Formats: sequence, C-alpha cells, structure tokens
Amino acid sequence: MFSYSETSIRIAQIILFLVFISIWVKQRGFKMSMSMSSYNYNRKTWEDSEFPILCETCLGNNPYMRMVKDKFGAECKICERPFTCFRWQPGKGARYKKTELCQTCAKIKNVCQTCMFDLEFGLPVQVRDHALQITDDLPKEGVNRDYFVQNQERMLSHTDGTTPGGALANIGTDTTSAGYEYLKRIARTTPYYKRNAPHICSFFVKGECKRGEECPYRHEKPTDPDDPLSNQNMRDRYYGNNDPVAEKILNRAKAMPSLQPPDDKSVTTLYVGGLGPDGTINEKDLRDFFYQYGEIRTLNVLGVKGCAFVTYTTRESAEMAAERSFNRINIKNRRLTIRWGIPQAQKGATGSEGRPINPVPSLPTTSFPVPESLRPTGVKRPSDSPFVAPPSKLVVPSVAPKAGRGGDDAGGSRIYYPSQDPQRLGAKGDVLEED
Amino acid sequence: MSIATKLRRIRKTPPEGWDLIEPTLEEFEAKMREAETDPHEGKRKTETLWPVFRIHHQRSRYVYDLYYKKEAISKELYQFCLDAKLIDGQLIAKWKKQGFENLCCLRCIQTRDTNFGTNCICRVPKSKLDAERVIECVHCGCRGCSG
Repeated sequence: MFSYSETSIRIAQIILFLVFISIWVKQRGFKMSMSMSSYNYNRKTWEDSEFPILCETCLGNNPYMRMVKDKFGAECKICERPFTCFRWQPGKGARYKKTELCQTCAKIKNVCQTCMFDLEFGLPVQVRDHALQITDDLPKEGVNRDYFVQNQERMLSHTDGTTPGGALANIGTDTTSAGYEYLKRIARTTPYYKRNAPHICSFFVKGECKRGEECPYRHEKPTDPDDPLSNQNMRDRYYGNNDPVAEKILNRAKAMPSLQPPDDKSVTTLYVGGLGPDGTINEKDLRDFFYQYGEIRTLNVLGVKGCAFVTYTTRESAEMAAERSFNRINIKNRRLTIRWGIPQAQKGATGSEGRPINPVPSLPTTSFPVPESLRPTGVKRPSDSPFVAPPSKLVVPSVAPKAGRGGDDAGGSRIYYPSQDPQRLGAKGDVLEED
Repeated sequence: MSIATKLRRIRKTPPEGWDLIEPTLEEFEAKMREAETDPHEGKRKTETLWPVFRIHHQRSRYVYDLYYKKEAISKELYQFCLDAKLIDGQLIAKWKKQGFENLCCLRCIQTRDTNFGTNCICRVPKSKLDAERVIECVHCGCRGCSG
C-alpha cells in the first residue's frame, strides 16, 4: 500500500548524475552530542543517504536531470538533525528544489522529502490521515521528539527501506477500504508541475525589479494575503494540522458530485464522453481500461461524436466501473466524462446508438440461437428484429468481424465464430446469470 | 594601477606609436577607476564586478583589434602592451582560437569552477538556447558570446 514503487520506477528512469560537492559542514551551534566525532551511545545520528525520497511532481518532467548531493548539508525542518540534502531543477523553467526533511522523518509520515505530500496519493498528510483515520500525535519538541525519532529510525532499519514507519506501519494495507478509495478519487491523476514554478518576485511586487526579462522569479500579482493558502508552514503540513491546503481539498471533495446509478436495474451501459477528435482514443484504449471492472458485452465508439458506450454483462461490473472511473478516468491525458447510458429499450429498436450489428454470415437470418433453458427469465425482448437491438440481458457478442480482418465474410465462405476469435478476450457469449 | 605606474614598473621606453593609443588607454583607465569606486548599493552581489570585467574586455579588445585586425600598430608596441600588462594576454590567446573569437572573460570558460564541469551559460550558442529566454551570466553579465 504505502510503497515507494512510483519513486523506484522513476529512479530507474532517471540518469542521475550525483555530484559530490565537498562543502565544509559548519558547526551550526549544535549540542555537543551532535558532534560527529564524539561518541555518545544515545547521540543523534547524522543521516547519510544515496538517493532522495521524492514524489513524481517534485522530480519534474525531465527524465534526464542532474542532482547535487550535499552530505550533511542541511538541517531537517522537523527533527533538526543534519541530513544529506539534494538539490535539482525539476524540468525546464522550474525553480531549483531541495530536500527539506530527513529521510527518517519522511518515512515516518510516508511523505515526499521536499513537498511533504503523501507519496502514494500526492495529498497533504491531514487529508490522508483524515481518510484513513490515522491518529498519531508524535512528540514535536525537544528530547521527546529526539527519542521518538531515534526509536523510529531503529525500527525502520529493520525493514527494506521501502515501508513507512510511524502510525502508517500499524494499519493494514487494505487497498479496497473506503478511505483508500476516497483518497484515490480525490488524488490527482497526473503530476502537478505548476507547483515547481518559480516564486513570485518580491521586488516586482514592490514595483522595483530592475531585472526585467532576465529575472528568474515570476513577475505576477501576489496572492491575496487574506487567503488562508498564503499562510502555510512546513511543520503544520508535516504534522497534519491546520493545513490550509488540506482544508481546501477536503472542502472540494465534499462538494464533489457523485454518480447515482439508475433505478432501472437492467441498465448496464455507461456513456463515456470527451474522447476528443476521431481516432484520439480508440476502442482498444477504452477496452483496455474498462475490462478491469468486468466482462464487457459491447463497446461502441462513436468517433464523430467523440463518445462511446460501454455495456457490461453484469450490473455489478457496471456499477463498479461507474464508481471507480467517474471523475477519475484519464486516458492519453484526456479526462473522460462518465455517465450512465440510457437503456436501449427506451431508445427504440432503431439501434441509434451507432454501429449496427451485422448479421452473422452463413447463418439463417433468424434470431441468435440461444437455448430456451438458458434464456433468462423475466426478460422481455424489446424487439423481434434480433439484429438491430439485442435484448439487454442476453449476451449477444458483437459478432460482426472487424473490417480489418476483411475478406472472410465477404463471400460468406467461412463462418465467423466469436468463440474462436482470439481477439475477443474471454467473451464467449455467455448468458447472464440473474441477480 | 595607473598606466604611469605600469610604465614605470616595466622600465622601458614605449615604442613608436605609443602616443597614438595612449589617450584611449588612459580613457579606459579612468573608466575602470570609476567602476571600481562605484557604490554597490542596489546591486546584486554578482552584479558588482560586471563593469570591471566589461572594461577589461574592451581594453584588451581595442589593442587586439589594432594589431591583428586593422594592423595599425607595430609588433613592438603590441608586445610592449602585453609586457606592461596593459592588456590581458591570456584572454587574447583565447580569442585566436576558433569558437572563442568573442569570449567575454576567462571565468566563463573555467569549468573547474562549476558543479557539473560545464562552461558558463553565455558560452551556449543562441541556436541551442530558447529563443525567448534572456540570459545574463553571473560572472561578467555577458549576454552570450558564442554566436
């Protein structure tokens, strides 16, 4: 659940040049026990690390980047111990970022070392803890905190370094829990690189920036000082209290619309809109996405209108697909809209929803042969014309062979058997079990 | 160091044509003096030395052009300027190399001074940079000296 998988994948992608800069570590007025040389069995350790723990956003969009490593180069903003600081530019036009927390503090909360957002979801600690009902009141000051961090560090040293510590280690990794689902719904689907933009030029705000074009800072109007978002601090974000960003996200999540499944239980069709220009997102992309929720009966893409209809074989699959993909589905960087489809029976037997279902060649033009015993009871067939609108519960596979495999059906010489089509994953034209 | 002091140090009489270039060099010297005494208030830390680098470049460039481009001064006079350290011989040595014809200063090609062993941003050709991006290097305020 709380793994650093994304980061580790990213590590593999990056060609990273770590330059070791020997910077004289100044004694910054640490206590005696903080000295590297003095041995004190209860002393605070100085953290050395090879690679930072970062989120996708903080790493930026450039797969090739250079990082500067500064051994014991900064003081952790939470535990105040020296740690190995990394500095890099996350992509073109971004400001240089550096790590602010030590790795132990980052692992205790499972957060990015720089932005202090959760590594799994990219959400503030407060939002995550609220959703997963985590309550940990870590000691925040003095020797209590030092003792806590020391113990956590010892516990973390027994793991493989990819698991979080603190309260997160104690809760299970139930990815199907409601809290987890909630977090996945409100999390961003793509990295938010605007967060890496340079800061606003303070001279420009005063109206006296003389650097003009070559000023590396942003020449923009400052945010409203009354806005709670302009009053954030690291410790609050880390400990997850009074975080204005979290407040905003939680309020937005409350106002987020949800998709109510229609009362008519026979509806298993979802409308997928916003496919963009014809050919941007093809049937395969949609099938690859929607297949995970259950078996798809039909998938009609209306390229001209930029929408598609996905019909599932079961209502449960359709409901799950609607719930999991509403406001979340993102294919090829397009946010698609999901709505429940109108039952075909109400639309009439004209088959207005797009591609007409072609008759199976070399078969008599009667209805698709389904044994009477297998036909679900209580389902009224909407039309006598079997090819235009198949009954909603009867699984009539899209028997028309694809145009790409053309030639087979032209002469009617070979019969097209859906069950023998390797392209049709798992769909065998089964009859739906009554729920 | 004023020109008079430099001449006294080298203990040679200036060769033929010295009085032709002397007023210009005096002018550069005065400008340099002005740049040195200029107050630093309101400037960024890096900006303070930029005028010094610029005048130094212009002065060397002036003598370099007179000797190599216009061929207006004698070899003796050119050598005298070098010996008296009125101009920067090492900078001129770079100008003779291909690709370094307009080099702004020696710090900008000192790769050992940078984290990743690179040249200064002003050494990147304009064609390799973003068209809309304005650059000003931190060493000497150069806006691009590499074509």
